[in-house]
Amino acid sequence: MNTIRSILAVSALLVILFTFILISFNPGYGLFSFGHPEEKSWRIALYKYYIENGANLSGGANIVTDIVFDLRGYDTLGEATVLFTAIAGALALLRRGGAK
Amino acid sequence: MTRTFSRIVETVADFFLIFIIVFGIYIITHGHLTPGGGFQGGVVLAAGILLLLVAHGFSFARKIPEELLSDLEAIGGIAFILLASLGFGQSFFYNILWHEKLAFAEQVGRFFSGGAIPLMNLSVGLKVVAGITSGMFALSLFGGEES
Repeated sequence: MNTIRSILAVSALLVILFTFILISFNPGYGLFSFGHPEEKSWRIALYKYYIENGANLSGGANIVTDIVFDLRGYDTLGEATVLFTAIAGALALLRRGGAK
Repeated sequence: MTRTFSRIVETVADFFLIFIIVFGIYIITHGHLTPGGGFQGGVVLAAGILLLLVAHGFSFARKIPEELLSDLEAIGGIAFILLASLGFGQSFFYNILWHEKLAFAEQVGRFFSGGAIPLMNLSVGLKVVAGITSGMFALSLFGGEES
């Protein structure tokens, strides 16, 4: 059982490494790699777009809430999931008459 | 029954709890207009309840209904996901209340603007209040049960 698990873990690690190598040797990826001037202009274009059009896109005057709850809503969903999991773990360990 | 602090501390904590709760509700409901939001306002409200817990001690912590807190947290999370899935015609997290002018669709800067964002702030605030309060009470009861 342990050998099967270790084989699975090593193969999963190899698949992840292989995917990263494949992505980073893709010729389209180098166009937006870190520090490339093209990438910098695209990054600036993105946040300028958010600042200029965020209020019309999502309707809130507070741009941070616009981004967190509308434009990047999946991030907030993940945060809520993390909070829920942390509280559930703490309550399962610490409840009255719980784990001795 | 052992008293943690004197009656003066308890009275002052009860008095200032009102202002902390008003401030937290303001931060939650005005999250789309001013700095703040569901997470921040929820933590402010939970800090107010923590002040009550510190002032009143373990006798107060035993009176808390745990089922109500877990129900509130579940309602907050389910409401958040339902509000996000309202826009399934376009995509998940599509703000259909704002784009189709269904509700909360006044001019930007008014209170009833932002579409689903104020409702999401409310649900996340409810979730954070219930979660952090139940976590605090679990921790305090775990310390006080032995003595």
